Amino acid sequence: MRRNTRRVYNICYRFTGNATDAQDLSQEVFLRIYRTLASYRPAYGAFPTWLTSVTRNLLVDHYRRTRHDRVTDSIDDAMPVLEEKHSQARTPDRLAEASELSAQLQRGLARLSPELREAVILRDLQGLEYNEIQAVLEVPEGTVKSRINRGRIELARVLEEMGVRPS
Amino acid sequence: MDWNCKISDERLSEYLDGKLSPADASAFAVHTAGCADCAQLVARLGALVGQMRQLAEIEEPPQLIRNILDSTIGPRVQKEGWNKWFSWVPVLWQPRFAMGIITVAASLTIVIHSTGITPGKIKRADLSPANILRSANRQVHLTYARSAKFVNDLRVVYEIQSRLQPGPEPSPNSAPAPEPKQSQPDPSTPQQKSDKNPPRDRTQVHGGSMFAVLMPATFPASTIATLTRSPR
Repeated sequence: MRRNTRRVYNICYRFTGNATDAQDLSQEVFLRIYRTLASYRPAYGAFPTWLTSVTRNLLVDHYRRTRHDRVTDSIDDAMPVLEEKHSQARTPDRLAEASELSAQLQRGLARLSPELREAVILRDLQGLEYNEIQAVLEVPEGTVKSRINRGRIELARVLEEMGVRPS
Repeated sequence: MDWNCKISDERLSEYLDGKLSPADASAFAVHTAGCADCAQLVARLGALVGQMRQLAEIEEPPQLIRNILDSTIGPRVQKEGWNKWFSWVPVLWQPRFAMGIITVAASLTIVIHSTGITPGKIKRADLSPANILRSANRQVHLTYARSAKFVNDLRVVYEIQSRLQPGPEPSPNSAPAPEPKQSQPDPSTPQQKSDKNPPRDRTQVHGGSMFAVLMPATFPASTIATLTRSPR
């Protein structure tokens, strides 16, 4: 339960960049899972893939719902709160640096289009394989490869614009 | 394939993820080695991917799981009053606890029956410490007496067996049998009648010295004679 919750929360948080939205969406994901659990068949794929797929669909819905009133820069205010809390638990400087990088990365992700963002999140932050991402996104493998590649290049460009250079 | 910057750009992530075939990976490496722009892009993207993969997962807020449980299976009812104190009772109906209870009950039943306690006949007075002590003391003595009787019965059985299967005469060097008490011979028994000079030690009539040890001194001679006469 905890492992799946963390997985869903991380995807939601990385996608929305907002702790409150991530919590609400995680809750919504599990509510949907709970209601449709009877219809789940192993033939649809492994449970984590199904869970990720449901999460992704809800995130897309959420993105479409909030398209008009979204202010991208507002996440900059919400971000540091959670990142600071995360770094307080592990005080060494190195973790603080990682936390800072995490925050910068989050800002960079927020500037990507949802298609590229979700592909990068699933591949590099969730560690899914290409075929798993294909199952989640329900797009051809070529599209998955293309989105991951374009997402990474775009993210690197955005981060460079922000003055962040991965070392 | 004529590898160029456009192809490298398109297949950069596949190269970083190790998804290229050996031939393509080799062509990619050759091109990158001779193209500064592509080499720089590979280095930047490689570093970015490496850092993203090293990022620790964000901890979910502590209340998230509780909120999820509340929204799915419903809020847990806080028990109050007596229900709060007896909330552990339903746990006992789980199979493992139920099996444990049954096993303990069966073991107790066996112990109670083996000690001769009848639960239905227990009175209030029986539960006082003095009575428990007295009852335990009595039980110990009874057990001892039963054991002693059992051993004595065994002696009789051995004695009878030895008389029905005559063994060799005891050797002179054998340990002398203890002198039994001079029991008054019963003149009515046939054996006593037939033997004009009955041996002093009955154990030496047929058996060896072993029976001198086993033979109780007070064992009635008439019984032995009767049993000895009985056909096998």
